[in-house]
Amino acid sequence: MAHQTPAVVMDNGTGFSKLGFAGNDSPSFVFPTAIATKGGAGGGGTGSGRPAVANKPSFLTGGAGPTGHLASKRGTEDLDFFIGDEAVSAAAGPGYGLHYPIRHGQIENWDHMERFWSNSIFKYLRVEPEDHHFLLTEPPLNPPENRENTAEIFFESFNCNGLYIAVQAVLALAASWISSKSSDRSLTGTVIDSGDGVTHVIPVAEGYVIGSSIKSIPIAGRDITYFVQSLLRDRGEPDSSLKTAQDIKESFCYVCPDAVKEFGKYDQDSTRFANHVVTRPGGRQVTVNVGYERFLAPEIFFSPEIYSSDFLTPLPEVVDTVIQTSPIDVRRGLYKNIVLSGGSTLYRDFGRRLQRDIKKAVDKRQEESRKRAGVTSSGPGVDVQVISHRKQKHGPWFGGSLLSQTPEFRSYCHTKAEYQEYGPSIVRRFALLGGPGGA
Amino acid sequence: MPHGPGQARQPQTDNTLDGSPILPSIIQSWHLRAVIMLLLDYQNVLIQNILAERFSGVPPASVDQTVSDFDGVLFHISTPETKTKILLSIQIRCFRDLVKYGAVEVLQREYGEYATDTEPGYDFSVLIDLEQLPEDRDDREALVLKFALLKRNAMAAPFEAAYTEHYKLKEEASQYTSEEAPKGVLEGGEVMSIHYREEEAIYVKASHDRVTVIFSTVFREETDRVFGKVFIQEFVDARRRAIQNAPQVLFRNDPPLELMDILGEKHTGSGDVGYVTFVLFPRHLTPQRMPDVISHIQTFRDYFHYHIKASKAYIHSRMRKRTADFLQVLRRARPDTEEKERKTASGRSFRVQN
Ligand SMILES: Nc1ncnc2c1ncn2[C@@H]1O[C@H](COP(=O)(O)OP(=O)(O)OP(=O)(O)O)[C@@H](O)[C@H]1O
Ligand SMILES: [Mg+2]
Repeated sequence: MAHQTPAVVMDNGTGFSKLGFAGNDSPSFVFPTAIATKGGAGGGGTGSGRPAVANKPSFLTGGAGPTGHLASKRGTEDLDFFIGDEAVSAAAGPGYGLHYPIRHGQIENWDHMERFWSNSIFKYLRVEPEDHHFLLTEPPLNPPENRENTAEIFFESFNCNGLYIAVQAVLALAASWISSKSSDRSLTGTVIDSGDGVTHVIPVAEGYVIGSSIKSIPIAGRDITYFVQSLLRDRGEPDSSLKTAQDIKESFCYVCPDAVKEFGKYDQDSTRFANHVVTRPGGRQVTVNVGYERFLAPEIFFSPEIYSSDFLTPLPEVVDTVIQTSPIDVRRGLYKNIVLSGGSTLYRDFGRRLQRDIKKAVDKRQEESRKRAGVTSSGPGVDVQVISHRKQKHGPWFGGSLLSQTPEFRSYCHTKAEYQEYGPSIVRRFALLGGPGGA
Repeated sequence: MPHGPGQARQPQTDNTLDGSPILPSIIQSWHLRAVIMLLLDYQNVLIQNILAERFSGVPPASVDQTVSDFDGVLFHISTPETKTKILLSIQIRCFRDLVKYGAVEVLQREYGEYATDTEPGYDFSVLIDLEQLPEDRDDREALVLKFALLKRNAMAAPFEAAYTEHYKLKEEASQYTSEEAPKGVLEGGEVMSIHYREEEAIYVKASHDRVTVIFSTVFREETDRVFGKVFIQEFVDARRRAIQNAPQVLFRNDPPLELMDILGEKHTGSGDVGYVTFVLFPRHLTPQRMPDVISHIQTFRDYFHYHIKASKAYIHSRMRKRTADFLQVLRRARPDTEEKERKTASGRSFRVQN
């Protein structure tokens, strides 16, 4: 075919959806995975107040004519919705309720998700799904039924040309190939994917997730935002909305080497305190002080006891355990290539602290086992390397963009014809993209 | 079969429902509601977003994105030389057809001062110097929109040509009574064909009393074809409900008469192709309404298919609800054990370390 359309890459996360086209180095759209629908179950009229009709002329009437009237009479709940940022704004006013169809990385509301997708594809990306191949992502340990539901929607509702569903962690590994530290295009490594809803530590050996060793930590971006918010509230700051807390988190927070010492630094050096200016809807500005939360908020990854009482294991320890419970022959590769991915790994020095703490844990364990064995000379030590790179924020999306622009991508996809012949279960298996034999 | 002015020929149409049992009336009314809810923008939102951001006075940054649009249109927006000069290029499958009907002139008129050497692999390029933008905010916004409408403007050429031709024929026809008018005036102009998708085309024909626009469209699936028919039926019904401004819409499975000459024996109604005909009457053909009508009619095919897909989503959601209701009934019948199991299944599915 002379005219090949670029594949569409969609990484729908708990908090944000990253949407775009293969080959680009960043997603074209990043917006909340949110849908605002007409509140209430009332089947009747959409009532007065807010016009039920989009403020565009229709094909038929060249304006909101009699059809508009009919539409409002019959109710348009299922069509009257917004997604993304528009959903968040709509829900701020009366009449609409906001829903997040993905929870903890997994799709929970398929009706909402199907509409979210259809709107993403036609109104934002502006593509006819019949003309494109799609690469979608899924969290680790996604139940196969979820894959099948996804395939059903993409093949039956959208008639998409071809579909590939990849595990986010594997894509994140591929994304790290742009780092100068990543020498071989390896698909072996440990991915720390921390987004909005959950943090996963996922060991991957040659492109295959070692499912039995995955660990999840119930602390991620949203929790850090809440933590910042609670500190702002405690101090009685003039604005402690979630939005403000999130902005402060994203622009001021960093990881320190030692929290106790860091407090001392603030007490000696008042320039470490900062100000954040919030512009209220009316245009009035208020100033919020920013203090210890700068380092304390991300510290909850390393000292979870300051935030939670039921989850107490520091992230570096979790990483070490994950690798220790993986097959012995891949452990070296897993320590050597610990790849960061997701918005909540962006704190300055996050990777550095992680590498130091993991190394400490490994060395300590080795030391103990040597003592037990009565060996005195120290061995070669384990190479622990945490990889940060400039695409890690949208790691899974970027990895998907890289892999889906390769010439062989299409042959790895399942097609509508295959779907029709074998049914939804066909998507339980995909050949490994970017793996050995691939590009 | 020539026909005189004022005596509109009624083409044979196939616009009755085939009473398919999978389409309960609820779906039909859904279609009617959907007609007005699923409109698509004329401009490319992403190009619009990127330019709006670049135009807003933020520090210059490099841009390099390949952006798809409907109908295999591809944009490339980049800053190849310096961060302050944005090159925007468009590739259109049917560009050669469009050139035949005046696209170069239309693009020159719209983008003249911005037009630049065409980027290799593309059909038309503009170069936007961020240091030479208009001062006024509204002017900048208008400019952003203009660039975001690149596809629309390129595709507008044959329609504009049809409007012009219609005015000419109308003028000529006004000098004759219907009987004595020369054949050329009565039959109207040649049919312009725009092969804008691999297997689909738009045909435009001007006459002295109308402009006819025909979309040939392929249905990948039987279900899509049935949904499509219901949808067109809504158009037809809506017209009957006396929406004065609506153009006449017809749907048929075999090529309309207007296309007999160009299609010949090639297409004999193979089943998965459908033809949607819009007849624009003089009230749609005023110079004032031209820009809107052209924008609108261009998006028809994508809007149509969006609609079909959204209606399938709607059916799916009803089916899911039915299944859920059904399971609920089952569960009520066996309260205890079921309930416990369900809780674990829908609880947090990740493993928390302990
Ligand atoms: N610069 C930053 N510093 C810290 N946190 C950030 C930064 N940028 C974004 N975030 C946070 O990252 C989170 C979103 O990350 P991401 O898009 O990876 O999550 P997601 O994919 O939606 O969720 P999940 O992967 O859990 O399903 C949000 O909590 C956001 O506040
Ligand atoms: Mg994610």
